[in-house]
Amino acid sequence: MTTSGRTEARSSGMAVWKAVLLMLPAALLSSLTWLGNLMGGDIDPLIVVALVASWLGFTVLFVLMLTTGKTYRYRSIMFILTAIALPLDFIPYMVETYGSMMLADDVMFSGGASFCPLTMPMIIIPALVKGVVIFPGEILPGTAKGAFSIMFILWVGASLAVGRGWCSWGCFYGGWDELFSRIRKKPLIKHKQIDSRWRYLPFAVLLAIVLLSAITFSPIYCEWLCPFKAVTEFQAPSSVLAVMQITIFALLFIGLVVVLPLLTKRRIQCGLFCPFGAMQSFLNKINIFEVRIDLEKCTQCKKCIRECPTFSLDESSLESGKPLMTCTKCAQCVDTCPQGAISYHIKGTPLKANPTVAKVLFLYPAYILLMFLGAGSVAAALYRILMLVTTGSMLH
Amino acid sequence: MEKIRPVLGYIMAVFSCLISAAILPAIAMLSEPFITATGLTISPNYSGGEVVQTIDHGAYETHVHRMVFDDVLIGERKEGFIQVDWTPLDALPARIDEEIDADGDGQADFRIEVDTTTKEAMLTPYASWVLELEGAYRPKDFFLVRVHLKNPAR
Repeated sequence: MTTSGRTEARSSGMAVWKAVLLMLPAALLSSLTWLGNLMGGDIDPLIVVALVASWLGFTVLFVLMLTTGKTYRYRSIMFILTAIALPLDFIPYMVETYGSMMLADDVMFSGGASFCPLTMPMIIIPALVKGVVIFPGEILPGTAKGAFSIMFILWVGASLAVGRGWCSWGCFYGGWDELFSRIRKKPLIKHKQIDSRWRYLPFAVLLAIVLLSAITFSPIYCEWLCPFKAVTEFQAPSSVLAVMQITIFALLFIGLVVVLPLLTKRRIQCGLFCPFGAMQSFLNKINIFEVRIDLEKCTQCKKCIRECPTFSLDESSLESGKPLMTCTKCAQCVDTCPQGAISYHIKGTPLKANPTVAKVLFLYPAYILLMFLGAGSVAAALYRILMLVTTGSMLH
Repeated sequence: MEKIRPVLGYIMAVFSCLISAAILPAIAMLSEPFITATGLTISPNYSGGEVVQTIDHGAYETHVHRMVFDDVLIGERKEGFIQVDWTPLDALPARIDEEIDADGDGQADFRIEVDTTTKEAMLTPYASWVLELEGAYRPKDFFLVRVHLKNPAR
């Protein structure tokens, strides 16, 4: 081996060790969480296998993220797995608890619907004015999968920790959109063919659902517009209105989450429709992390604009050195910039400060969030699959 | 100031890591205190509102909820509902026939007859503001009816 070969091998070995050391706290934290899960009662060997497998998988992906510089690729795998895992566990849970994934009025009146963070924008005004939560779920954890208190604390914590980064690191639905946006190699509808004014739609949807929910005292988005009802729970088709709602959920899922992402290679639901994402754009102001473009290094090749999956970069970004407020910190532009001009940045620090430090400091809270939400879902789904293989049923 | 800002930035970045790691413990530890402190409840539109009268029948109980007209942001609706439920489900007789005082004035305002096995129910209004039966439901551990009312105060 030549001297330069030895130096190269030594430095790559150092990088791996550095990554392993960096990964250790996160791995310890996640193993503590799952050990806590196992302490709950009788230990089913299938649960142990599912937890260990998901723990190992997520830890390896985090190490790869730290060592290879391909943050987007490995985040994307975890993010997509999380989204696919959610219904694999949630739908069997619904069948076990209520007999189907449809919620009858009986279940609604007993608080059986599960909260998700997407309800938050609609809940705020009635909660502030009247002290009530306009959702047929539970305030504190009980029978349903997600109670209001869980989702509220999760939402506040995630907003502080990663801001709009929630949409690429925490959201347990966004992976569906991302999955379909990554299937084709080239888009059939190019980004230039999409009118940039569509980017305002999520803010219009946000305003509309906040006002309409406050007026009608019901969660309008959950009742009429959420595409992810198609893969979780929805109201039983007991009336013409309910049938209309279910049809809209299915059409929105097919249109916004499957077909348009396939055609455009963009996360259409996340970038052009989701009102929760729009709200997170405002809350991102309280978060310390951002993505910045070094204008001295930038050659204006515009690859980042073409590649951004959430329409968060445009010509103005290349002038200001900042992506638009809708940036979900997914790392696609960071990884693809041929000049290495785009990096994570900590607000208040000099732009030329060490980007690796900023990246690691961002990846830590982002990964912990993804690990808490995603690895739990993946373990639960894996457990259901193992049950199916060993007993022939996904149900308890 | 120029030296303090980067230091604050890095402190906040580390703080973000700690917040992220603290989310799960915070959910376990802060859920109840948070709800107690804010006094938040599920909208009466779904929960039926607070129970104002409990009638003990020995094996089972009747819960009469308050009349709900306030499931709007400001003021009250012209029409609303009252929820009456019976619990526990497995102790209920096949047939319940009960007179209910909805407004708490000591006078029965309607009579409700329900078949707890078939979910069939019949309403006999006594007061003019009792309009019709909205529905009879059987969630996991109780049986409930909702009666459509006109707001007597409007």
